[in-house]
Amino acid sequence: MLRCHTLPQCRLLAQPGAGAGVLRRRVAPGGTARWGAAPRVSGVEASSPSRAAVEGGERPSMAERLRLGSLLEDGLSYKESFIVRCYEVGINKTATVETIANLLQEVGCNHAQSVGFSTDGFATTTTMRELGLIWVTNRMHIEIYKYPAWGDVVEIETWCQEDGRIGTRRDWILKDLANGEVIGRATSKWVMMNQNTRRLQRVSDEVRDEVFVHCPKAPRLAFPEENNGSLKKIPIRTDPAEHSRLGLVPRRADLDMNQHVNNVTYIGWVLESIPQDIIDSHELQTITLDYRRECQHDDIVDSLTYIEEGEERCTNGSAFAAPHPEEQRQFLHCLRFAGNGHEINRGRTVWRKLAR
Amino acid sequence: MAGSVAASAFFPGPGSSPAALARISKNTTGELPENLSVRGIVAKPNQPPAAMQVKAQAQALPKVNGTKVNLKTTSPDKEDTVPYSSPKTFYNQLPDWSMLLAAVTTIFLAAEKQWTLLDWKPKRPDMLADTFGFGRIIQDGLVFRQNFLIRSYEIGADRTASIETLMNHLQETALNHVKTAGLLGDGFGATPEMSKRDLIWVVSKIQLLVERYPSWGDMVQVDTWVAAAGKNGMRRDWHVRDYNSGQTILRATSVWVMMNKNTRRLSKMPDEVRAEIGPYFNGRSAITEEQGEKLAKPGTKFDGAATTQFTRKGLTPKWSDLDVNQHVNNVKYIGWILESAPISILEKHELASMTLDYRKECGRDSVLQSLTTVSGECVDGNTESAIQCDHLLQLESGADIVKAHTEWRPKRAQGEGNMGFFPAESA
Repeated sequence: MLRCHTLPQCRLLAQPGAGAGVLRRRVAPGGTARWGAAPRVSGVEASSPSRAAVEGGERPSMAERLRLGSLLEDGLSYKESFIVRCYEVGINKTATVETIANLLQEVGCNHAQSVGFSTDGFATTTTMRELGLIWVTNRMHIEIYKYPAWGDVVEIETWCQEDGRIGTRRDWILKDLANGEVIGRATSKWVMMNQNTRRLQRVSDEVRDEVFVHCPKAPRLAFPEENNGSLKKIPIRTDPAEHSRLGLVPRRADLDMNQHVNNVTYIGWVLESIPQDIIDSHELQTITLDYRRECQHDDIVDSLTYIEEGEERCTNGSAFAAPHPEEQRQFLHCLRFAGNGHEINRGRTVWRKLAR
Repeated sequence: MAGSVAASAFFPGPGSSPAALARISKNTTGELPENLSVRGIVAKPNQPPAAMQVKAQAQALPKVNGTKVNLKTTSPDKEDTVPYSSPKTFYNQLPDWSMLLAAVTTIFLAAEKQWTLLDWKPKRPDMLADTFGFGRIIQDGLVFRQNFLIRSYEIGADRTASIETLMNHLQETALNHVKTAGLLGDGFGATPEMSKRDLIWVVSKIQLLVERYPSWGDMVQVDTWVAAAGKNGMRRDWHVRDYNSGQTILRATSVWVMMNKNTRRLSKMPDEVRAEIGPYFNGRSAITEEQGEKLAKPGTKFDGAATTQFTRKGLTPKWSDLDVNQHVNNVKYIGWILESAPISILEKHELASMTLDYRKECGRDSVLQSLTTVSGECVDGNTESAIQCDHLLQLESGADIVKAHTEWRPKRAQGEGNMGFFPAESA
């Protein structure tokens, strides 16, 4: 679903009151909000601070006032908070990485919506729709320093930017709302593709104008440091994989609105071939996925895991392979079609030892 | 996991009413008639901020591992008792009973409405209370209520919340109910007396009646409560409504039995556990007996017409399907059950009711198969009529995990639901 929903670009339609940072959810052009029905307690509405921002005398519903996401004052990024629910928590009693990925997607979607992109799941601009163009994820990189537990509230800020000639980037920063600590960072790269020919397309000036008007002009990176993990290439491995899980089958719930397996499902599949002893003793710190091909309901997928030795540089500048320190393990991954062996995704994961 | 969702009871009335009143005093500060504040029937509008913040924090961030105990129920909270002590002084001072009665009625009516409203903006990040949907106990401590906003990844291909999403919400409210009541022992939902005896709750049956499916961005309100089920079991019911319209989305009932987590044998309810949860049993039913009778039991054969069977094999749990005990979460079974339902049914129909019979648990290494039997005349894609299916989820090696029976009705036309959607094709 990341592929279709999360829109890296921003575009602010002329919406009165949008600058006040109030998010109005899915108000159709006709002006009738979905929840235009009078909320149950009218007396309280009068004191709502967001009332003033709403056009045409519509009263914001409880849901809208509870809506916890909003554009920041400069309109260049979007922030929303989420509580971790019990069913989003895994065997470690903390949120799973899939939950985190779902929340990243959710906040990306809401950002796109708040600045006026289409809400059909494709998050396209008018020009893009005219040209039959859609966004496709290229790479997703997530780092988690501290997993939230059931009941914790996570605040996620997101923004998007141009990335070279053909791409855009969406970045996220995750914080624990209670203490403001950064608990994770993520970045993703996107390219534009023609829906029908499935060929990549350069971002034309027309689309660029629509799309980048509300992105930070000065580069703002979730990963500003040099040589960070989000930039590292993921090599292909031809030797036999140390671990594998074969015959993975998409479930109905794994499919997005256009019947392709959604991006978050791939993360789950990559983890399937991690051996039990790593799952029991380590925690996923970083995952990087390069998306190559799409997968549908009737496909069967093999998940392969390769151990990746660390790279050390010795004094004369050449690299040599060395095992990682005790506390860290690193793997390369491949998801491929069981039938013809074509690559679906390529990935890397880094695991840190759990303090048990 | 078979026993993952447990719902025990809660704290009775006194815990909730003063909380509500205290909240009222905070929320309706500008809105009560002048004479009320003069008479002190409500805690003073200018209550010291510290008191308010303590009050809010008490509910704000209940941590699972108990670092923040729910002050509302377990410690004498002075702020909670202020409204109760005021009337005593009041009685001494002012003899106007009718005014007093009117004032009290107004407050309670306002409290009734205010309980589910979160009109105040948190002044500090830790004053979260129900802004993020922690939920609260209402109605004399017998019902727990929590709201959920439907997120984008919770909807299915038809853009409405999936049945798994709705079931996940039921699970979440059950656990939050137990937690808010201060009865969360070890593990998912067991009470402290149960944990001492290595007992856990295990679900044995669930019945759902769905009236409508919410969409992305809708807010749903879930009410849940518990009751006795026989001598040793417990029933937990839910009633889910659309927050804004109040219309029912779904009603559900579930039956739980107690099991020893080591021996995996069923157990009677010890007296100590009965003492913990008994007082909070609420006789109300989400699904009445007659409605329950009308739903066919899982395993019912379709008499007469020929049936068609569909199978999906090779279903295996992923890491994310497992709970902290590495058992498969209850809700995941529903997805697997529906895996073998023919796509022609799913496209044109929506699930109207489901009855689930949980037989056996499964873990990480299980391989399952899902079988769906559709009653004869329904298979040809006739979209006008209701459809009935019988389901079996079993290990490929044979043992039954879950049996289910579903009824489907034709999907309603997507009217208001599509407001604001612009399908790419039609742009």
